[in-house]
Amino acid sequence: MQIYLPIAEMTVPAESILLLGTFVGFLSGLFGVGGGFLTTPFLIFMGLPPGIAVGTQSNQLVAASLSGVLAHFKKGNVDFKLGGVMLVGSLLGSVIGVSLFKLLKHMGQIEFVIPLLYVFLLGSMGLMMFYESLSSMLKKKDAEGDESSKLMHHKFFASLPYKMRFPRSKLYVSALVPGAIGFLGGLLVSIMGIGGGFLLVPAMIYILGMPTILVAGTSLFQIMITTIFATIMQAITNHTVDLVLASMLIFGGVVGAQFGVRFSRKLKGSYARFLLASMLLIVCFKLAGDLFIAPTELYSTEVN
Amino acid sequence: MFRFMLLAFVIMCGLTPKAYAFDSDLLTIGLADDTVQITTGFNGSRLTIFGVKREQGDLAIVVRGPERRVTVRRKGQSLGMWRNVDDMRFRNVPSYYDFAMSGIEREIAPAILRREYGIGVDSLNFDALGRNTEAEIRTFREALIRNKQMHGHFALEPEKITFLSDEFFRVDFDIPADVPTGRYTIMTYLFQDGRAVGERKTDLRIGQVGFSASVYRFAHNNSLLYGIAAVLMALFAGWLVNLFFRKE
Repeated sequence: MQIYLPIAEMTVPAESILLLGTFVGFLSGLFGVGGGFLTTPFLIFMGLPPGIAVGTQSNQLVAASLSGVLAHFKKGNVDFKLGGVMLVGSLLGSVIGVSLFKLLKHMGQIEFVIPLLYVFLLGSMGLMMFYESLSSMLKKKDAEGDESSKLMHHKFFASLPYKMRFPRSKLYVSALVPGAIGFLGGLLVSIMGIGGGFLLVPAMIYILGMPTILVAGTSLFQIMITTIFATIMQAITNHTVDLVLASMLIFGGVVGAQFGVRFSRKLKGSYARFLLASMLLIVCFKLAGDLFIAPTELYSTEVN
Repeated sequence: MFRFMLLAFVIMCGLTPKAYAFDSDLLTIGLADDTVQITTGFNGSRLTIFGVKREQGDLAIVVRGPERRVTVRRKGQSLGMWRNVDDMRFRNVPSYYDFAMSGIEREIAPAILRREYGIGVDSLNFDALGRNTEAEIRTFREALIRNKQMHGHFALEPEKITFLSDEFFRVDFDIPADVPTGRYTIMTYLFQDGRAVGERKTDLRIGQVGFSASVYRFAHNNSLLYGIAAVLMALFAGWLVNLFFRKE
């Protein structure tokens, strides 16, 4: 069934959008990531303008992350204090990100920079997680963040000021570290249309040394507030939030997320990370390939 | 129904007083619908034009969407990766262009006349902005046309004009699903021996209606509220489905 998108001003097949939403929702519930790293490239591939893809995706992330947050909140797996500190950084990040997006679009480089950023981020995160999960699987023990808190005890991180106590996560760290992680997350939401879970989750595990059980819920909480802010900002400055497209993505997404959360209980942490790492690497290779393959049409047009 | 419309049309034409400008009354044009309405289920449409010509000659009909500025970008390789390396801006580019002719392009009117009236994709007169060489402009212009044709927004070849009698004709233009919205003009020209002897201008509106239009207006006229509404909708959806699944 074809459906007309009033803001994008084009027609898309509704089934593909719903299917995409469901699949991404499943991943979101399973890994605590927003899944935008799949949605945004796919929407652009379907012919939607990158601006609409990114703007609408931030709206869909609100719904996907809320249903995830609720599921984790019920189990008491959200550290609101740490999430709040991350938020200060992420709101600043998303303001800067929206301006950067506009600038890159004006320079005609947005369609190059977005995949390049994806390749870089997905590749490095994927490889790191792939290696870690594989080694902990081979050692037959689940590395629940206990051995990986090393980074936080590194001289540099230990020397930072504004130390705060986060009782829920049993951490005593400088507020600058979660703030900086949040800042990156905010940039990612507004430039790449992703919640940044795939970056936040490992950063919270490996850099902050947070207990893995709290990571998914806390990152989703942080992502939810950031995407609420980003959605309103995109709607005001760029008019790039398409309600019809968002509804379809959301409908698929919230359903998929519930299955993801259930499935995640049966999956050991290291296996989940191994699967997520493999997925990140597959998307990374695909996007990297596209950057290097000569396009059939060298010219493109953009209406000003 | 169609016959009835035609009949009504013929009667209407017959009654048209001969007091129009000197060449307008050679042609009478009517649209089956003077608006193309885009609804949520819109998946392209067909634009039907009826007309009467009262003298011998060839016809050309041109459908043009609102004019826009367009940036054409060229990709090149740097560090092995393909990205945009060059661009050129054009103005007066019709967002949509389609045309129909009753004969072969070259025979209807000489190139200079076709260019004047913008008949045929190659005759479109949009201008490049900034300083560029002739060769560069030609390359980018061709690329712009090729891109527009690929997206179905510029005609690949003229539509056929069907004559129902010596005087009455009909043309069908296919409108794609992602047609640009706005005010369109439909120009009809009558040519005799390579000269234009008659012309007619008809307006067409292509726009969203109903739910689709409301969403568009809401987003553009009240963007803060729209953003908040989008967020609330998302929060409600997330909460609702969560509640539903938790009860199971």
